[in-house]
Amino acid sequence: MDFALLRDAFWGLTFDGIALGAIYALISLGYTLVYGVLRLINFAHSEVFMIGTFAALVAASGIMGVKVEDDPRTGGSMILTLLVCLLVAMLASAITAVLVEIVAYRRLRQRGATKLATLISAIGVSISLVELFRIITDSLPREFPRIMEKTFLFSYAGADIRNDKVIVIIAAGLMMFALERFITKTRLGKGIRAVSMDENTSTLMGVNINRVITVTFFAGGIMAGAAAFFYILVYENTSFKVGFFLGISAFTAAVLGGIGNLKGALFGGFALGLMETWTSAVFGTAWKAVISFIILVLVLLIKPTGLFGESIQQARV
Amino acid sequence: MKKNRVLAVVAAVAIATSSFVAFAPSASAACSSKLKIAYQGPLTGPEAALGINELNGVKFALKRFLAANKSANVDPVVYEVDDQGDPAVAGPIAPKVAAEECVVALVGPAYSGASKVSLPVYLSAGLPIITPSATNPTLPDFGKSIFHRAVLTDDYQGPALARLVTSRVKNAKVFLVNDASDYAVGLQKTVDITLAGRVVGKDVTPTGTTDFTATIAKIKKSGATAVIYSGYFSQAAVFVKQLRDSGSKIVFASGDGTLDNQFIKLARKAAEGVLLSAPAIPMETASPKLAAEMVKAGWTPGVYTTESYDAANFFLEAIKAGNTDRASINKYVSTKSSKGLSKVLKFDAQGEVSGADVNGFVIKNGKIVLLGAIKA
Repeated sequence: MDFALLRDAFWGLTFDGIALGAIYALISLGYTLVYGVLRLINFAHSEVFMIGTFAALVAASGIMGVKVEDDPRTGGSMILTLLVCLLVAMLASAITAVLVEIVAYRRLRQRGATKLATLISAIGVSISLVELFRIITDSLPREFPRIMEKTFLFSYAGADIRNDKVIVIIAAGLMMFALERFITKTRLGKGIRAVSMDENTSTLMGVNINRVITVTFFAGGIMAGAAAFFYILVYENTSFKVGFFLGISAFTAAVLGGIGNLKGALFGGFALGLMETWTSAVFGTAWKAVISFIILVLVLLIKPTGLFGESIQQARV
Repeated sequence: MKKNRVLAVVAAVAIATSSFVAFAPSASAACSSKLKIAYQGPLTGPEAALGINELNGVKFALKRFLAANKSANVDPVVYEVDDQGDPAVAGPIAPKVAAEECVVALVGPAYSGASKVSLPVYLSAGLPIITPSATNPTLPDFGKSIFHRAVLTDDYQGPALARLVTSRVKNAKVFLVNDASDYAVGLQKTVDITLAGRVVGKDVTPTGTTDFTATIAKIKKSGATAVIYSGYFSQAAVFVKQLRDSGSKIVFASGDGTLDNQFIKLARKAAEGVLLSAPAIPMETASPKLAAEMVKAGWTPGVYTTESYDAANFFLEAIKAGNTDRASINKYVSTKSSKGLSKVLKFDAQGEVSGADVNGFVIKNGKIVLLGAIKA
């Protein structure tokens, strides 16, 4: 155990942990939104994220013509490339999420299938997508070109603050703020909250359930797409199995915070990012999953509904 | 009455099973058509590049053999076994390969983890193997009499990798990282012993790790001047990229698992200057003439192509000498020797080869450049 490292490199580890946590938080919002409305875990959400990373890749090389051997872009061209990649990733993930809902959920729901059947059909979609991308990519990881030169903005207490991670943290914060506004202020957002409170009553009140569910998947997809772009911007590679590792972490984050609760997903994401980074430093990287899951189990033992309880009704980000 | 019925069922099952065993094809069942040479390794999956290098070596050897021995009773097509380099995939495949009567020899398995699950199956089927690249020292325990290895083990590669780093970095302080695979743990152990007092820290980053923040923080705090990573290229690329992005310029070294052009493709500029070791010799160095001939035939030589070519040739020489079944081919390769491109293949009682070198490489201008044999 190396507590000295945690003490000495605390701010550096914390900064990197927050950047990782921001990505977890964005993905976990998708899990929590769907759970809040359908009371079901969307097991295909990890692949919604995975497709976002590949969409960003296609956007960079196909639309913006960036080659892996190119020098990083600067100025307006860089900002435009970043924005296009972000938007394409969000759109691709959102469309995937909506399609997943139509294929794996809608018909089963309308025919009154059990929750288990829906769960399995979502897992089936997830596996199909993973295998599809395994075949398309010939199982090889893909590199993302460097769009933006990675530089240190400043140093604080031994922590080097890098530009790409600052962008991730700020942009993720903005995305979360926008989602909060959407859920609390808009008509559709109110619909989501109404359905999550009581599906039957909201139907009687004239809420279009199908539309609300589609919008919920779409919003979750947007967040996963943003997470995918931020992930590929920082780590610059992806593969067909990228969703598996990130998806498990994000799902854990959602459960930790209290699944169905937006504030919980955010808190869970950041908490897990920090916990993983800190425990890797103290116990060694191989131990991070062990320690993180022990903490999760302990939290659930004390508070079975997660830290913030299970509710989307009073959604606050 | 009920009891009797149960007994009857048990007896019937027992008889059925025993008769099935009696009629199951035995290991030495004769092959009624052409003899087949098999190759086992990752032909798809993230490690496929290495397997394809090796398969190409086997194909090239077979093509040259059949051109010189037109009447040989050998199938011109290599029997391909794709284990993806993964023990979980290799497990169910090995019995199917063993049951193929005409497969009389196998080049591979390429990876140590997959070898550990495959070798016991081939041992019970009497199928002789020569692995061109599985370097874990414990493999003879799994393959016993059918096991042969055309390269030096990690017992040699580890110390050589350590010497490669200490010869190029003055007063090296080394940080060791491995990916928790069979191969990586074995390699790191021997690196560690050779470096003795020079190791300033260690970390394990299991396969699938995407964020190396904590590992890099440890490396920086340890004051290391070099990192030796034991593992495979796909993760090595992610690691070295993050290390360089963190501002660190210390030497990065790794073993044969990273010696792959895919590594350069993934890590790009971060791959420059990376030191690599392998108990292998590139075809271009061993025989420029054959390397050119191979390219002309449509196959690009890569890491372990030469060793696979040599292994396949040894088996083909055994067949040419009149051996047509697994047992006699095994006896031939276990007792005779073969003059290969990389070295003379002569196996000891454990199936190990001697008199070979571990080579050092450096990545320069996006290419793997041979530095030569790493001196003791």
